[in-house]
Amino acid sequence: MAAMFSQNPLMNGPNYSFNDAPRTAAPEGARQHRFDPYTDNGGSTLAIAGADFTIMAGDTRLTSGYSINSRYHPKLFKIGGTTADQKDATIVLSVVGFAADGEALKERLDAICKMYRYRHGKPMSVKACAQRLSTILYQKRFFPYYVYAILGGLDEEGKGAVYSYDPVGSYEREQCRAGGAAASLIMPFLDNQVNFKNQYEPGSGVGHALQERERKPLTRSEGEVLVKDAFDGAVERHIEVGDGLQMMVITKDGIEEVLLPLKKD
Amino acid sequence: MPGFDFSNYNRNAALHARGVPLPKATSTGTTIVGCIYDGGVVIAADTRATSGPIVADKNCEKLHFIAPNIWCAGAGTAADTEFTTALISSQLELHSLSTGRKPRVVTCMTMLKQHLFRYQGHIGAYLVVAGVDPTGTHLFTVHAHGSTDKLPYVTMGSGSLAAMSVFETQWKPQLNKEEAMKLCSQAIEAGIWNDLGSGSNVDLAVITPEKTTLHRGFVKPNERTQKLKSYKFKRGTTAVLNEKVIKKEEMGNYISVVELAEETPASGDKMEVDT
Amino acid sequence: MEFGTSGVLSEDGIHVDMDRLKKGEVNLGTSIMAVTFKDGVILGADSRTTTGAYIANRVTDKLTQVHDTIWCCRSGSAADTQAVADIVQYQLGLYHMVNGRPPTTQIAAAVFQEIAYANKDRLTAGLIIAGWDARHGGQVYNIPLGGSLHKQPYSIGGSGSTYIYGYCDANWKEGMEEAEAVAFVKEALKEAIKWDGSSGGVIRMVVLTEKGADRHLYLPDSDYKVRHQ
Repeated sequence: MAAMFSQNPLMNGPNYSFNDAPRTAAPEGARQHRFDPYTDNGGSTLAIAGADFTIMAGDTRLTSGYSINSRYHPKLFKIGGTTADQKDATIVLSVVGFAADGEALKERLDAICKMYRYRHGKPMSVKACAQRLSTILYQKRFFPYYVYAILGGLDEEGKGAVYSYDPVGSYEREQCRAGGAAASLIMPFLDNQVNFKNQYEPGSGVGHALQERERKPLTRSEGEVLVKDAFDGAVERHIEVGDGLQMMVITKDGIEEVLLPLKKD
Repeated sequence: MPGFDFSNYNRNAALHARGVPLPKATSTGTTIVGCIYDGGVVIAADTRATSGPIVADKNCEKLHFIAPNIWCAGAGTAADTEFTTALISSQLELHSLSTGRKPRVVTCMTMLKQHLFRYQGHIGAYLVVAGVDPTGTHLFTVHAHGSTDKLPYVTMGSGSLAAMSVFETQWKPQLNKEEAMKLCSQAIEAGIWNDLGSGSNVDLAVITPEKTTLHRGFVKPNERTQKLKSYKFKRGTTAVLNEKVIKKEEMGNYISVVELAEETPASGDKMEVDT
Repeated sequence: MEFGTSGVLSEDGIHVDMDRLKKGEVNLGTSIMAVTFKDGVILGADSRTTTGAYIANRVTDKLTQVHDTIWCCRSGSAADTQAVADIVQYQLGLYHMVNGRPPTTQIAAAVFQEIAYANKDRLTAGLIIAGWDARHGGQVYNIPLGGSLHKQPYSIGGSGSTYIYGYCDANWKEGMEEAEAVAFVKEALKEAIKWDGSSGGVIRMVVLTEKGADRHLYLPDSDYKVRHQ
């Protein structure tokens, strides 16, 4: 499962110390011409599930190559509300990768959620929505939506729920997940600060006998601080991340949206 | 043996044929500019170095010394701009010593273009050469393949289009020093904001017949934002699986030790640390 | 010569390599020409150099002096043509000093050809050499890509030249007056600039006669009507 979520295409083959895919062996001078409908529009997303809330976040920069196409292009979408402004929605979808596919995926999922509500007379649960999203993605197994999607909401017990996906629909419920360009920068930070990985109780033993630091549930404000700091860090070291930070907090009272500034260079 | 060492060529070619990718050199994505004014010339650069989409250095120096009166702004492969300017700087000083004349900008430009042409673009140095010599004020661009241009205002690097848009709208003949400095700084900022390969600060150098003034961090519009939380770990948080103590006296067995005088502490850019 | 696998084999079986310029190399897109007239020869060129779609220099001087009254028009790779012109300038300067007399246009063209032919697999240089010397008056030599040498009454070159073969063939006359020849070059280059996307900017000319070299500059601001400088 770990390899499935890896964005390193080499994980299934030999692993090189260089972050670069091997060139396909083409005869010298021969050039291949083929239809290439995908663009990587950069950016990064992040989701953390708490005891009674879920934080979804993403930067608002949209890039292609070395150019900025937009400084405000949201990656977070409220899904399955009854109105156009989605003010009664309870689920959030974040998409990163190819923006056009992200937009299309959001429209599909939203339409499906609305149809579900119309037919069943009740909103879709996050669990059901998550399963349906997986199906949508897998339907395009051989012409995938080039997106790393994360779905966030509250489960039937009111606990925070985060589902993360690979582009062809493999998914998993998780405590936290970073996606997109700076995922490899943010994810280790989250492992350490949310799940306290590699942190031990000082003086609790020697070597392998050392006690791991006890995990305790994150409060909402702690989570928001971590998200902001994670993106401030990513902005410093990844050129495709920046401009603005869009954050949505899902609680039983609804979805709160915050927009914070990020560095613009 | 002088020059480049090709002894790993065959091994790397074989490895590459089996699918091992070539190592990525640090590239200075870069915006660099230059502008002549009445009484001298200004050159400027951003300070971001990248390796793919990752920022390798947030505050690198892209303004290179050639001679006291000649400076160079470099874009392209970081190592190539560094070594090419250093090599030409050395040769130019020897040339100046042997002729007994002050080094000239055209001489520097010619040496650079001949060196780069010989390597047919494999040395990825894109340079803006500027200076003042007994024949006047000069500004050139030198491309990696060895072609040169002489213009009153120039831009290079991935941010050159953003920077050139500033020059093409704001430039006028007869600028004074302050106007030229402002124009160059604005051109670099256009690159910093609009080109992903460029970022952080503006470095700027003013060259006049009297002296050269280097303004390191002329504008710093991208100071790091303060973290909301302290990420200081309690001492002992990290597991220690193995421990070995080497006494100071034994250190010589592992590394070469050089004693520094008290009044000359080792210097360098201070590392950014969270508080 | 190394025959690459890039490019296409055209109808007449000649291997046309469309991929000669290396990636990121500065290209002199270019419309260039040189024309003999009654008292000498005129060289003309646009001023655009490009790297891909970007105009790296909009006021380039593609007319390069290699001796007092011997000049050349450069097209192809900026780096290659500058390097060749620099070498020839040195050789001709040396020739003058060693022999005590200036080189003729023919000698200059021969020196150019020697380099262009010997390095034909390494160079992307289309050159037109034009000069005035006391014995032969104004002369034009053309050296296209392979390094062959052609003496011509007038010559056109660069990507923009394809658009003006008809114009030049219809309007060129033997033994024109200077003003007439200047007008001919200007009108031809105006057409080339109009139709060729890789050509543009100002029109530069050099008039080579017994009196030496005379530079002309025409700006698009005034529709190339007024002579500047």
